[in-house]
Amino acid sequence: MHQALPYRTWVPTTGGGSSAGPSSATIEPSDGPMNPGVGMKDVTCVTKMVSENAVIVFGRRGCCMCHVVMRLLLGLGVNPTVFEVDEEDEAAVVDELSRVIAGEDAKEGRPQFPAVFMGGQLFGGLERVMATHISGELVPILKKAGALWL
Amino acid sequence: MNSSSTHFVTSRRMGIYEPLHQISTWGESFKTNGCPNTSASTIAELEAKLDNQSEDTSHGTPGPSDKYDQEATKPVDKVQRRLAQNREAARKSRLRKKAYVQELESSRVKLMQLEQELERARQQGLYIGGGLDAGHLGFSGAVNSAHTKNSAGIAAFEMEYGHWVEEQSSQICELRTALHAHISDVELRILVETAMNHYFNLFRMKANAAKADVFYMMSGMWKTSAERFFLWIGGFRPSELLKIQLVFLDFVFLTEGEGRLGVVLVPQLDPLTDQQILDVCNLRQSCQQAEDALTQGMEKLQQILAEAVAAGQLGEGSYIPQLATALEKLEAVVSFVNQADHLRQETLQQMVRILTVRQAARGLLALGEYFQRLRALSSLWATRPREPA
Repeated sequence: MHQALPYRTWVPTTGGGSSAGPSSATIEPSDGPMNPGVGMKDVTCVTKMVSENAVIVFGRRGCCMCHVVMRLLLGLGVNPTVFEVDEEDEAAVVDELSRVIAGEDAKEGRPQFPAVFMGGQLFGGLERVMATHISGELVPILKKAGALWL
Repeated sequence: MNSSSTHFVTSRRMGIYEPLHQISTWGESFKTNGCPNTSASTIAELEAKLDNQSEDTSHGTPGPSDKYDQEATKPVDKVQRRLAQNREAARKSRLRKKAYVQELESSRVKLMQLEQELERARQQGLYIGGGLDAGHLGFSGAVNSAHTKNSAGIAAFEMEYGHWVEEQSSQICELRTALHAHISDVELRILVETAMNHYFNLFRMKANAAKADVFYMMSGMWKTSAERFFLWIGGFRPSELLKIQLVFLDFVFLTEGEGRLGVVLVPQLDPLTDQQILDVCNLRQSCQQAEDALTQGMEKLQQILAEAVAAGQLGEGSYIPQLATALEKLEAVVSFVNQADHLRQETLQQMVRILTVRQAARGLLALGEYFQRLRALSSLWATRPREPA
């Protein structure tokens, strides 16, 4: 990617996505894409997003550390998808992500925000991203995950 | 012995470092028998040297000089007076030195007492100091426990930092000596590890202090003025660190345009290999990218904070809720300080990985001395002669 395309922000919508989990019982009629906070959230889409995106960053809304991760990845030519988590959804999203991670070596159980997933797996937080970038290991990993082409 | 010539001959064989009492016996018989002119200057020289020697060994005894003061026979009048004045000056100097040392020791005792008090107070959280934020909206009364705990945390950090700088200076000296002495790589590695750990200790100290008062950390208040001029998120810029290292080791960066670097190779004792040069260039680029990302995040935080403070109607005079929101956002500043230090640490470690032990030692020496120079610059600036008002 030689041009930096704007990153896609994904906000969870009620009954959004094509996954019909048991929690998406309430379907709001004619709700636009930006209508959170009504009824039960469907966070099983989270799992789908992790597997569908080469790089996805989960962060709290308005979190500046999340912004730092994004800027770094953008600067490398990556188009990270960013999932902004509202305060009320935080617990649910963390639960979902923990389920995604379980099966791999569970680090301290619950992921912390911002959480970066690459190639469907949890990569780590800002610290890990920085450390691997400085040591020169980040770019090869990004390429392997299909987030970067050269 | 009464014969002056006998004495004189004996003295000549004595050599320079005879004890003081020999002078008195020698001088006395010398006076009673009259002075052979030829030997006056030599004797005076010897006396002078012995005087100096006695000063160094801090003989406190004024005995011999008294004898001389009392007896002032004509032919040696001037010589005697000069010797007496010398002795007086020496004694005064000794007394001054003694007084100074006593002052130093009492200051030292006071300092130790203060440190103990501080430690006690810090543990009890009762330290009343700083007063930096007192009196705003009644949030921090003078004896607010949290406020005083924060001040104590910062006071403790400042003390620890003082020790850190001292230790740093001695490590720099050791590195310099070691590199000139051509010690083995194994021993050099130990010095390198020590120096690295010393920096890591500083980052740990800073992390603790940031919990106490992050604005203090962000303003670099513990640093000297010239160091603060270069401040970036509570410390030095990691990319600057690399520039210092590289200027010292091998390169002079000429231009940096469109991502390319023009370089001039300055031959050094153990120059970087091609692979090392490549690795260092990559490191410099990664470091810059990480730095930029943090800077942009910081700017976003400032923007968010400004918006939080400015929320609601400006000019109505009531703003507690806005500040409560703003207060929450400030927690993020602590993260930034920590992440910036983490970047400094990672950059240092990667630098050391790329270099050989000897190169790393030289690099760390360069870095340490650079900061010493900055601190010295601050002192010079503060004490520069100024026009009277």
